[in-house]
Amino acid sequence: MTIPPDMDEKLDLRDSEPPPPEEEKTGFLPIQTNWFDRLFISVVIWVALSLVWFRFIEPFGPSIWISNAIALAVAVLIITKG
Amino acid sequence: MHSTKLGWLLLAPTLLVLFFFGVLPFIYVLYVSFHQWNPFAVNPDMVFNWAENYRRVVFDAQFLASLGVTAAFVFFAVISELILGYMLAQAFMKDFPGKAIFRTIHTLPLIMAPIIVGSIWKLMTTPSIGILPNLLDNWFGYDLNIGQSAIAAFVTTVIMDIWHWTPLVTLTLIAALVSLPPDPFEQAQIDGANKRQIFWHITLPMIRPAILATVFIRLMDALRTVDEVLMLTGGGPGSATRYVGVHIFKEVFPRTNYGYGSAISVVVLYLTIVACWLLYVGLIAPRNKKA
Repeated sequence: MTIPPDMDEKLDLRDSEPPPPEEEKTGFLPIQTNWFDRLFISVVIWVALSLVWFRFIEPFGPSIWISNAIALAVAVLIITKG
Repeated sequence: MHSTKLGWLLLAPTLLVLFFFGVLPFIYVLYVSFHQWNPFAVNPDMVFNWAENYRRVVFDAQFLASLGVTAAFVFFAVISELILGYMLAQAFMKDFPGKAIFRTIHTLPLIMAPIIVGSIWKLMTTPSIGILPNLLDNWFGYDLNIGQSAIAAFVTTVIMDIWHWTPLVTLTLIAALVSLPPDPFEQAQIDGANKRQIFWHITLPMIRPAILATVFIRLMDALRTVDEVLMLTGGGPGSATRYVGVHIFKEVFPRTNYGYGSAISVVVLYLTIVACWLLYVGLIAPRNKKA
């Protein structure tokens, strides 16, 4: 069986310039993360903080908006330095 | 064609299906969860009530209790399935008479719908007509009545889940064990390693991704168990087997409290994602070199 000389060319679907690998950041978090991981971690912390706030802190007076502000600050910190 | 474009083109049908059947319903549930909505109440309109449903969720004693029993159910069921599944997978790696037929029979529960599994177990555990109460009474003098004993009902649901889902774990682990290269095992045997050392230092690290994938699947499945348990115990006696799925079902369907039910669903989804993510971080996520 003979392989046509232009076979490789026909089957080659690779990019002429492959995209650069996604950058993994090494911040203060204990695991390597990309921007989406850090956004995910921020959302997880925001929801957890809100639920804990509803249960244990809001009955004593402080508004949920304080929790949201704290969560936003934490999110900015994680996304930029995490 | 540019391969990136080709890749997106090939992925497009799947992504579209995922968007319409996964993302859009989730966004709708999230939207409903911020509303007071009972379409069969005096006021059937959807009324935006900020996070009132979530505020109610964290004080709902019945929901918190159902979270507790669900955690216990998931823990016992998944751990047992993993251990039994691994032992069965190792057994299937060896040749023994009747292996093919045993493997087929062992896989049968997997193809049954959960509601049928629930029915079978209901028939098997009903006092006076069920085989299990009869055998337990004859052999050990134990009176099995899952309609009265909370512990018996809980243990029966765990055993039913193990019976139903262990074959899935076995099949996944067989696939992982078959794909292992023989060289490290031969080298370890030459170096004089015993079976326990080989298990802890070679087999377990090499099949860890498969174990983790299996635990993820089973964890997510066990957290949303509804039909089997609803059929077998109806969430009782009392609230002994009222797992979160059953709790959501009872909140949404008989009581038609769609807004509050959606909020509970979102919280349960959140807890499921967090549990899986913590497992991922704890077991396989690449570590930060600075930390």
